[in-house]
Amino acid sequence: METTPLLDMQAITKIYDNGVVANDNASFSLRKGEIHAIAGENGAGKTTLMKVLYGLEKVDEGRVMLHGNEVNITSPHKAIEHGIGMVHQHFMLVDSLSVAENVMLGAEVTKRGFIDKSHGIQKTEAIAKTYGLYINPLAKTQTLSVGLKQRLEIIKVLARDVSIVILDEPTAVLTPQETVELFNQLKRLRNEGHSIVIITHKLKEIKTICDRVTVMRHGKTIGTYDVATITEAEISKRMIGAEVRVERVERSIQGGKPILEITNLTRHHPGEPSLHDVNLSIRPGEIIGVAGVEGNGQRTLIDILTGYASSYEGRVLINGVDIRGRSIKAVRELAVSHIPEDRMIKGSNPFGTIGENLVSTTINKPAFNRAKGWLINGRKIRQYTQRLLKSYRIKADNTDVPVRVLSGGNIQKVVCARELDSQPSLLIADQPSRGIDVGSMEFIHRQIETLASNGSAVLLVSADLREIFRLADTIYVIYNGAFVGAFNNDGSVREDTLGEYMLGIKRQAFAKEVARRDAGNAAL
Amino acid sequence: MQAMQRFKSMYARVITAIKRTLNLGFVFELARTLAAIVIALSVAAIIILIVSDDPGFTLRVFLLNPLTQPDGFATIFSRAMPLIFTGLAASVVLRAKQFNLFAEGAFFIGGFAGAIVAIHVGLPGLLLPVVALLAGGLVAAIFGTVPAALKAKLDVNEFVVSLMMNFILLWIGVYFLSNVFNDERAGDITTPLFPEHARIPYISQDSFFTSGVFIAIAAVILVFIFFRFTRFGYNIKTTGDNLAFAKYSGINPAGPIFSSQVIGAFIAGVGGATEVLSHYRRFNWTSLPMYGFDGFMIAIIAKNNPLAVLFVALFFGYIRTGAVQMEIFTRMSSEIVTIIQAVIILLVAAQAFLMSLRKRLMMRRIKGLKHVEATVEV
Repeated sequence: METTPLLDMQAITKIYDNGVVANDNASFSLRKGEIHAIAGENGAGKTTLMKVLYGLEKVDEGRVMLHGNEVNITSPHKAIEHGIGMVHQHFMLVDSLSVAENVMLGAEVTKRGFIDKSHGIQKTEAIAKTYGLYINPLAKTQTLSVGLKQRLEIIKVLARDVSIVILDEPTAVLTPQETVELFNQLKRLRNEGHSIVIITHKLKEIKTICDRVTVMRHGKTIGTYDVATITEAEISKRMIGAEVRVERVERSIQGGKPILEITNLTRHHPGEPSLHDVNLSIRPGEIIGVAGVEGNGQRTLIDILTGYASSYEGRVLINGVDIRGRSIKAVRELAVSHIPEDRMIKGSNPFGTIGENLVSTTINKPAFNRAKGWLINGRKIRQYTQRLLKSYRIKADNTDVPVRVLSGGNIQKVVCARELDSQPSLLIADQPSRGIDVGSMEFIHRQIETLASNGSAVLLVSADLREIFRLADTIYVIYNGAFVGAFNNDGSVREDTLGEYMLGIKRQAFAKEVARRDAGNAAL
Repeated sequence: MQAMQRFKSMYARVITAIKRTLNLGFVFELARTLAAIVIALSVAAIIILIVSDDPGFTLRVFLLNPLTQPDGFATIFSRAMPLIFTGLAASVVLRAKQFNLFAEGAFFIGGFAGAIVAIHVGLPGLLLPVVALLAGGLVAAIFGTVPAALKAKLDVNEFVVSLMMNFILLWIGVYFLSNVFNDERAGDITTPLFPEHARIPYISQDSFFTSGVFIAIAAVILVFIFFRFTRFGYNIKTTGDNLAFAKYSGINPAGPIFSSQVIGAFIAGVGGATEVLSHYRRFNWTSLPMYGFDGFMIAIIAKNNPLAVLFVALFFGYIRTGAVQMEIFTRMSSEIVTIIQAVIILLVAAQAFLMSLRKRLMMRRIKGLKHVEATVEV
């Protein structure tokens, strides 16, 4: 045991300009040659703490000690000088450049005034060899898979000769196989003497590769523990203050006419992923999960179903009504709700109050109007908002605070409250629990389940397999715009099996599978 | 007894409404704007101290004359009146995130149209000014549909179109003024005199306080109600705040994009007609009056809040009145006002101004809460 840690962050307090206290007297220390997880719900302040370390955020109080000396890191440039590098959750790569050019970006070596390209290639290859991070240095970045892009990000950081590597939710976009590969690489990096910080809220990952874990909650650090001596349940308990059980609840699917019927749906549009011959039907009470790596046509499918995309071949019936040519509003009028993938862009108006956000799709209802529809009934809306705040357990000071000051989980609950409270007959849920804390996630999952139990059809699109396993009755895997696999979610399918289909390694003789399923339906 | 009860419940409701509004954010914005005004006035005072022969007297004239002169208040309100209209017009347009500068041209053409109706439409009594004002607004709104429709339908940049429209309307106006509606006997480019009953009266014989000010205040209240309590207002606000969310919620954004610009033009047009029929005996504008551009400045300082527009416009009316007084009684130039405006705009627009203070206040509040939470922590 060393007496002085490699890195010691003491009593860090960071308040954002909008008044959000991201870090409140948080402390964190890192030993040389360990993989250290920072765990916590979303909005717990994990990323902010690391951004402070990497010089992206200015700290308001507290100090950072490196090798026992106080350092003042004011920019990423300084951080790199001190040997600290960060891989962000969203890739910071120039797609049109080659791998080697991205590696050297901002630190180009010149020869006679021109960029020395061979140096970049050599450097990339050297790092690849040392750490087993194999990649083609001449490949164009846009042609890389998500996993390789992340590998490139890590190489980019290593090329700056850093000894501390911070990774922000590195597995969020990876398939199970890619995750395993990443973990092997990280272990190798550790063995070479690097210290690694992983920001995550996935307990399994912490148990798999981390040596120690620091748990954060509401901007404070709750404690640091040896992973070997703490159980997942105990970590989770410290993260959210209560134990969460994640189990699929058995529901019986009601028979009857399908609510959603998609036949031979095809769309080719330049600049977006295509959709090839998709067939799907959802009966009342059924939850269909669509699993897939992002960018394989899920967005296109949802755009068609919600009235965003109007040109397509094939047919979509919702409760027997053809939605061709219907506007977004007209599709909503068929009792369709839509939880969009991005809560801050499509899902909410961050500057509007909670009340204004909750009634955005229902403000034309007579219940919220007065004076023959000329005026909005502010008091009714406020009462409605108060009811939803309570029943969806949204934490907010009052109904008139702007949505942007809420935490991610609470904003997502506002979105869900609006979409679910109308008791839709069809719910299209696109990544409904992405990037939110475990408590909110479980709450939203239960709401979706209840909705299905009451006879609604649910189309769940998610890149998070746990979510799919948790909710779906049937799992479809989408790859390259087509369904390549269908599975009953009865516990017989494993994550890595799905992963193989998601990556296009395997493909079912799908027509047969669908025929069998439909025959089964007919028999019901 | 019952009246007492009713009063009490109403009182409680008003208090909760005020409490809802007076959160830290709002109070802070207000304090920030006031600080900007104080700093701007100090800058002006420093300049006066340096330049003036008798700075004490000059400052007194500049700051106190508008308040102490017999017709000071009337003058402040009169000067503020057109700014209230154009400030409101700009705030409606900016709420929808449309950078449409048409308030300028709308104010001009609204004034012109109001004048023509006042002279050439024979209507009895109060009906004439009312119709003239509405005509001013309507004509401006009709021209306002050009940049609005081009933006909503074809996504043509409204900034460019509206800016050009201002000059097109100016020269169309000047053409008609000098060739069609010109008063041959006046010996100048101007219309004939308005009929006396077409004019918006002063509130009393011996005051310059025009009742047009009440029309402006009514407009403030209407715009406030429009955004607070109507679905149109809600749609415009939502579209301006987050276009993607508006679409997702089923709002067709073309509607708010179009209507916000046309409503803005209408308000500015009514403003132009009100100004002409309050302060002029005949219409003789051959250049843009510049109130439209001032309106944008006011809307930005007021953060598009209609009630704040009223107060910012009044403040501008006040310093402009002071500046004119100063020019009359001392050797200082009235252009000092533009310096004050520039400093205020700069400080209000600067997001970081006083943010560190806000942060310190927040730190203190959090520290105060700390010992309470410590007991809860396991």
